[in-house]
This record gives sequence, structure tokens and C-alpha cells, in this order.
Amino acid sequence: MLENIALIKEVHEHLATKDAQVQAREALAKINLQKISLYRVHMCNAYEIFCVCVVRAMMSDDKSVIIISPINLLDNSSSMDDVVSVIKKLQMSQDIVILDTLANETHYKEVSCNIVK
Amino acid sequence: MEASLVVLKFIDNVGGKTLEILDSFYEALKFTFICTLHLLRPKSYNPAMRMVLTKQIYFTAVEIIPLFTIMAVLFGSVIIGAVIVLASEYGLQDKIGSIIITFVLDEFSPFFTALLISLRSSTAINTEIAVMNVNNELNTLRRYRIDLIDYLFLPRIISGMISVVSLSILFAFIMLCSGYIFTLFYMNMDFHTYKHLLISAIELKDLLVLLIKSITFGFVIMLIPIYSGLKTTNAYTAIPISVLNGMVKLFVAIFFIEVLSLLIQSL
Repeated sequence: MLENIALIKEVHEHLATKDAQVQAREALAKINLQKISLYRVHMCNAYEIFCVCVVRAMMSDDKSVIIISPINLLDNSSSMDDVVSVIKKLQMSQDIVILDTLANETHYKEVSCNIVK
Repeated sequence: MEASLVVLKFIDNVGGKTLEILDSFYEALKFTFICTLHLLRPKSYNPAMRMVLTKQIYFTAVEIIPLFTIMAVLFGSVIIGAVIVLASEYGLQDKIGSIIITFVLDEFSPFFTALLISLRSSTAINTEIAVMNVNNELNTLRRYRIDLIDYLFLPRIISGMISVVSLSILFAFIMLCSGYIFTLFYMNMDFHTYKHLLISAIELKDLLVLLIKSITFGFVIMLIPIYSGLKTTNAYTAIPISVLNGMVKLFVAIFFIEVLSLLIQSL
């Protein structure tokens, strides 16, 4: 996972592999996922894979990150609170936009963010 | 009337097939050209690419060394033995140096190495790219604006070229050592005579042929499986078909290069 995340900075900013991996490790540490640093994708659960996707998006130089139906990407044990918590912990500089269908509306009831219908 | 319709349909089919073949050939040439351009562009060599390149060289050239050495000793010895025995039977002892050098350096080492690397690595790369394509991993990389050629294809192509060149040299060295054993038994030749025979027979042309052929083989045995993997349609069932097609095209290309090099050398 570390290589997977570090790749973005290595390619776009030509950051040395070692430095890019340090940044990737720091980002994983913020969300207490250091243990998955050396995991392959099949060793991670849905929540961990989702977090890696978010960290990878954070590493990119895009102005905004759009997450589509995050609840569908997570397993049953995760909630929208987990998603928001990950975004908050990572202190991402980008604007985060979550797009979802009305069918998933109930998952957002307790979430502390702006909801536009 | 009906007969002319059948003829027209036949011509239409032949024309359609020809255009299809020409189109896919043009596509393949375009892909080769783009990969070559990336190969020559310093910007392609970013840290991520260099990391993948190191790993690929390890997987393609280093990991295979023990098995490759055993294969080279077994096959190389048998073949060089047969060549020496035949040469001595036909009274060609005075030309044995140039026979060995031409056979080993110009023909057998690059060809056999290319075949072995194709069987081991090209199939793996074809499958890997096809699986990545079917799993949409290639699209994910594209969305992150990661150049697939720089990050995925170039390291594999360069590792192919480095591997075939280095393993061809190793193969040639093993074959020349085996050659000494056979000349010792069949011609009662001592090591110094054998060494001088080879040194006097070797020409710059032989080394250039070994190098150019190995580089070409290395380029092709990686490029064709990559291209074949990229062309896989989005279904898991398409993966074996992609590997099968890729391997057939690859072996045709290897034999084509071999024949072409023979033709060029005979000019």
C-alpha cells in the first residue's frame, strides 16, 4: 500500500521514492493504519482499501476530491462517521465532495457536514 | 447472377479482413513508435519508473539465473557438441573457431535466450497487463494521470532488453566453455589453442550481431505481450485468449527476426 500511495508524488512531483514513502507512512499514521503499509490489496479489508484511496487522492495535486457512494465501497461494519472521521484526521487541503443517491440518505443523518439535495 | 454475388461477397470478405489486419498492424506500429519515443525521453525516467525497472530486472534477469545456467549447460553442451562433432566429421577442424563463434554468438545464444525469457516472463507480463486491464487498474492509473507507458510498459521493455543482452552473454560464455570440453575430447585440443582459436575467429561484427539481436529480441518479447494484454476485452474469460494470441504473435515475431537477421548477415 505504501508504494501505491507514494507513486502519486513520485510521478507528479518527481519526489524520491524514500521521501514519497515517508509522506505516505505519515498519512497512514494519521488514521492509525500504519500496519497496512506493507500489505497487498488482497490483505486489506474494504475500509482499509477505501482509506488508501482517500490518502492517494490527498497526495494528488487536484483541487477537489469527489467520492461517489462511499457507503457502497465499505463493508457493513463501517459507517459514514468513519468516512468523515478519516477525512477530518487527514486534514486534506482539497475540497471534499461526496455524491450519493437518495437511497443512501439514511446513512447521512448523523453526519456533521453540509448536505445539499 | 448468384455466382457473381458469391464472388462479390468473397471479395468483400477478403477486403474486410485485409483492412482489419492492416489496421491492427498500423495500431501495433503506432504503439511501438510511441514506446520508442518514451524510451528516448529523459522525462520518462521518474523515481517510480526506476523503482519498477529495478524490480523488473530482478524478476526477469536475476531470479532466472540458476535455472538459466542449468538449461544453458544442458542444451548448450549438447548443441555445441553436435556442431563440433559434425565439423570434425566433415573435416572442418581448421574452421572450427569461426564455426563456434558464428553459431554461438550470432545465432544460438540470443535466440535461445529470447525463447526462454518469452516462456517465462512474456507470458507473465501478458497475463499481468490483461488482468490489470480487466480489473480496471489501468483506468485508475489513467485517472491519476500516471502515464501507463512510463510507469508500466517502459520498465518492462527496458528490463527485457537488459535481460536478453546479459543472459545471452552468459549463455554464450557457458556454450564456449562446453565447446572446450568437446574440442578436448574430439580434437585433443588444449585450452590455449582453443582460446587462441576463438580469439582469432571473433570479429567486431559478431559482437554487434549479438548485441543488436539481443536488444531487438528483448524489445519485442516485452512489447508484444504488453500490447496483447492492453487489447484484452473486459472479461476474465478474455485473459487466456489474450495470452494465447500474444504468445503466437510473439513466436512469429521471434522467428521473423531470426530469419531477417540471417538475411541481413548473408548480404
